[in-house]
Amino acid sequence: MTATTAYQVPANLSPTTVANTSSLLRIVALALISGAAIASRLFAVINFESIIHEFDPWFNYRATKVLASEGFYAFWNWFDPTAWYPLGRVVGGTIYPGLMATSGVIYSALRAVHLPVDIRNICVLLAPGFSALTAWATYMFTKEMKDESAGLLAAAFIGIVPGYISRSVAGSYDNEAIAIFLLMFTFFAWIKAMKTGSAFFGTIAALFYFYMVAAWGGYAFITNMIPLHALALILMGRYSSRLYVGYSSWYAVGTLASMQVPFVGFQPVRTSEHMAALGVFGLLQIIAFAELVRSHVSSKQFQTLLFASVIGLGLLGTAAIVGLTYKGWIAPWTGRFYSLWDTGYAKKYIPIIASVSEHQPTAWPSFFMDLQFLIFLFPAGVILCFKQLRDEHVFVIIYAIVASYFAGVMVRLMLTLTPVVCVTAAIAFSTLLDTYLNPEEPEAIDEAPKPEASTSAVAPDTSSAPTKKQKKAAPPPAGSTLAELVTKAPGTSKRKTGVFGLDTRLLVVANAIGMLVFFVWHCTWVTSNAYSSPSVVLASSNPDGSQHIIDDFREAYYWLRQNTAEDAVVMSWWDYGYQIAGMADRPTLVDNNTWNNTHIATVGKAMSSSEEVAYPILRKHDVDYVLVIFGGLIGYSGDDINKFLWMVRIAQGVWPDEIQEPNYFTRTGEYRVDDQAPQTMKDSLMYKMSYYRFAELFGGNQPTDRVRGQQVPKTGPTLDYLDEAFTSENWIVRIYQVKKEDPLGRDLKTANAFEQGKKRKRTKPSPRRKAIA
Amino acid sequence: MWARWIVPALLGLVSFVTAKSSSGNSVLVILEPKLDKDNFSKFFSGLEEKGYELTFRAPKDTKPAILEYDYAQFSHVIMFAPETKSFSSDITPQSLVSLLSKNTNLLIALSPKQTPVYTLASEFSLTLPPPGTPLISHFPQRDDPATVIPVPVRPVTPNVVSSKLAPVWFSGIPFAYQNNPLLVPILNAPAESFASDGETDSGADAVVDAADKGGEGLWAGSQMGLVAGFQPVGGARATWVGGVEMFSDEFFQKELPGGGKPGNEQFAADVAAWTFQESLVLRIDSVEHHRVNETVPGQVYTTNDQLVFSAYLSKYNPVSSAWEPFSGIQDMQLEFTMLDPHIRTALPPVRGTPGKYSVTFRAPDRHGVFKFIIDYKRKGLTHLHSSTVVPLVPPRHDGYPRFLSAAWPYYVGAISTSVGFLLFSALWLAGDDRAGSAKGKTTKTE
Repeated sequence: MTATTAYQVPANLSPTTVANTSSLLRIVALALISGAAIASRLFAVINFESIIHEFDPWFNYRATKVLASEGFYAFWNWFDPTAWYPLGRVVGGTIYPGLMATSGVIYSALRAVHLPVDIRNICVLLAPGFSALTAWATYMFTKEMKDESAGLLAAAFIGIVPGYISRSVAGSYDNEAIAIFLLMFTFFAWIKAMKTGSAFFGTIAALFYFYMVAAWGGYAFITNMIPLHALALILMGRYSSRLYVGYSSWYAVGTLASMQVPFVGFQPVRTSEHMAALGVFGLLQIIAFAELVRSHVSSKQFQTLLFASVIGLGLLGTAAIVGLTYKGWIAPWTGRFYSLWDTGYAKKYIPIIASVSEHQPTAWPSFFMDLQFLIFLFPAGVILCFKQLRDEHVFVIIYAIVASYFAGVMVRLMLTLTPVVCVTAAIAFSTLLDTYLNPEEPEAIDEAPKPEASTSAVAPDTSSAPTKKQKKAAPPPAGSTLAELVTKAPGTSKRKTGVFGLDTRLLVVANAIGMLVFFVWHCTWVTSNAYSSPSVVLASSNPDGSQHIIDDFREAYYWLRQNTAEDAVVMSWWDYGYQIAGMADRPTLVDNNTWNNTHIATVGKAMSSSEEVAYPILRKHDVDYVLVIFGGLIGYSGDDINKFLWMVRIAQGVWPDEIQEPNYFTRTGEYRVDDQAPQTMKDSLMYKMSYYRFAELFGGNQPTDRVRGQQVPKTGPTLDYLDEAFTSENWIVRIYQVKKEDPLGRDLKTANAFEQGKKRKRTKPSPRRKAIA
Repeated sequence: MWARWIVPALLGLVSFVTAKSSSGNSVLVILEPKLDKDNFSKFFSGLEEKGYELTFRAPKDTKPAILEYDYAQFSHVIMFAPETKSFSSDITPQSLVSLLSKNTNLLIALSPKQTPVYTLASEFSLTLPPPGTPLISHFPQRDDPATVIPVPVRPVTPNVVSSKLAPVWFSGIPFAYQNNPLLVPILNAPAESFASDGETDSGADAVVDAADKGGEGLWAGSQMGLVAGFQPVGGARATWVGGVEMFSDEFFQKELPGGGKPGNEQFAADVAAWTFQESLVLRIDSVEHHRVNETVPGQVYTTNDQLVFSAYLSKYNPVSSAWEPFSGIQDMQLEFTMLDPHIRTALPPVRGTPGKYSVTFRAPDRHGVFKFIIDYKRKGLTHLHSSTVVPLVPPRHDGYPRFLSAAWPYYVGAISTSVGFLLFSALWLAGDDRAGSAKGKTTKTE
């Protein structure tokens, strides 16, 4: 190497010093990244309070409390009679217990060292804590792809990128909080196992895979990513014994371990989602056998025969899987899976999935919102991976393609895209910085810096797998180049301008730093403004700019908790089931664990029918209170009237003769709540409960619904079968009590009319005999 | 849940232990001035002899009020004001209905005149004929006017009135029953009677014409009611009587056409006894449930457990004013319900233990929140209802059967694989050099 550098580098340092210094700097950098990752997630706690957010976390929190107070076995066998009343829910067998178990372990560990921390605080702060671990896992993963500096960049990116923060702010106590760490670490262990052919790392991958299975339903992503990677390598002719050892140990141990989770059970051998992993496992065995045989036999014809038989066996295996699926031994793909390929599928056949907002296709702006400039670097990073195309780069490429597709289909899958975007963007960014920070100046322009591409981008045939030597020839980390330079103490170049001059370098580097600064600024802004709202507590601004807290949800839930019988059943739409169970501690009919479509449809039917039809349903299910969310007064748009059409659709799916969606639209096909609203709409329980006595608020003026922007009738609906029990300060939550049967056996409408002193039409007895004239 | 039912009953037992009635002994008689109190002396003194404290009040008096601060002031109210058109403000149809939900019993008399009470009858699923159409019968032949009728007492609802009573004198209006299971017919009109406007009975054609004009058919026949009970949800009782004269001393002593004393006195006493919750009053004292061979009730039960459910019933004995264990019900049923009854089984009395009803059954193979439900409703008898919630859970993770014979192939498979692996490892590690070198050669060729 020539001894020209673009700028002065310190001379006469020993390689150990350089290595130690960079190692120390890395540790410091990682520590700072962890700190930043945790700190940026605390906006929610600072702006509001230490509270569990949203919907699902409330159930996880409640389950964790059971685990912490009653122990693991009681939790495992927990049957919750208050959920899905009266069906009940076998909680132990229908959840991924990883999250609760993690919190439970931390709780016990802290208590063991006499740190009595409230279980709530552990739950609130678990996600920020694990985000620091995610940063570390991403660092390890990216290090395998390029080098430490790329790793540090990736760690920094994933630490503060909004796409991940959206699921892991303090209080967002959900499975995703720990799952992304497990995802990245499993991938890291898999890459390590595949690169080194180590059964040890294969088993580590399997263990973390097990943890992932226990923690999140998205484990199917790993279950299919790793086989896909292995298959791609085989098809590229890169089969090696390292791949065989790594994959076999991961699959065998991982599958057996995953079957220990009660909720998963025998799914790994019984459902189509898991068949890819099994198939690739079988294929690897066949190929390994073929390789073994070929190493012993040299006949060309025999090899052809063998090749044919391998193909034949593979086809046979596929046919067997198809046949088993056909016979019903293997469950076919589930609806959730189909909805990934056909975005209209869910709306047509499983409205309950489509009704969740995070299952909608992603809008373009949200890519920028969640990833900012990383989304531009993402393709560049993928191309850089193509340039090297070692085995692990194939993994990143596949991951990038698959995850981008899924992220486009469903908003919530943006989460799985985020890590790979961070990794590839880090690779691209660090390559850029490497190029422009490298003090070494080439002699001629022809020798553009591409030191490593030729050595590793070999296209090996099936016979020669890449050996250790080739791997050693993999790009030397930037640090060592620097170390070489430093130790050699080269002279400084005199050129200050030009392509290799300091000005160009400074320009590019300054631009890059500018991008980074804007990224941090963007992330901070998005995190504090968009992703830190607990959604249990709402915030608005007073005219003077100060914060005004809208606390209707907790107000109403605590009212329920303190004013109703302990076994009073509360009916609401399923969105609020977990919150009612968690905050009000009352039995609910349906909740966010949407396992029973019919039960949800029953609630939908009760909400969308008239009082007379709904009342028997309410009585049959022992409903004492009905809770609705109404945003019309203060303009809270996520209210039940806006979700109402989903209730109608879900109910229509089960009772197509009784509930029909078109009846809830005006003749011109509009969804209205004002005078023009169709009679079915006005008669529905949901409409009546939402607008009951709403007009009285306006004192004779025209009442206006602020969400729909429509003027509702001046004479509001009347209720005969329900009594208004509670309405929160801003009318967001309204609770109605279901009346008991009339003591005289009349229907409640008649009884009400009698109570109000209305004259009843004289009834005539049914004539039993005709008078003979 | 049964506690909701039983606690008021127990309180009632404690506070009114001296009363004849199971629900208290204070009676308010709203007697209209037109009716002479002395004319009903036998009926009233009969009540007083039983231990009731009667308070009399005219319809327009303001004191004593029937409701004060939304609390019922009397245990029973007798409304002998069939012709009063205006009452004081505390007596309205609404307040009378609300009394029933406060466990106050009502005995209400009607007349052919249209009054607030007259219109109230329709809330009790009784349809009254147009005003001014009393019941008329020309049979049997007698000297009295056609509106004063001896009505033979047939047991429409068993046990409410004494059996084998002599015919009772009746004068008043009939009513038609609507389709309401809470109605308890007590006395029906004679088959040959009919309702007609005008007591002169100018001819059959006039009756038919009038019936056609009203468009409601002929008011005639034995399906019409004269005295009807009503059992509102909650245990109170109400009785409607078509004419107040039934209870008068005059009718108590009036000789029947064929000679003999009428059954009025006994009939009136029986009707009052039923209305004031003396007779046919039952209650569920307690229910209990547990697994077979256990005594403590379980917080939860496991699917397919053998469960024992028992209920203890009492009947009120007006003679001794006490609740006595009652084993007389043979057709009671128990339902084990989640949305729908998963099990419906007979709940027979236990021999040797008075008042105890018990059944053993296997819990269904379905987890969920179940209810033990007793829902025994018979006309005349107090409606018995009890509902006890209990969750039915799947077996614990270690509660399933183990070491099944069907699993032996799997056990053998697992054990043989383990042993094979151990043997292989041992042979591999302890194998001699020759094997090792041969292995080395093969790896080199790869």
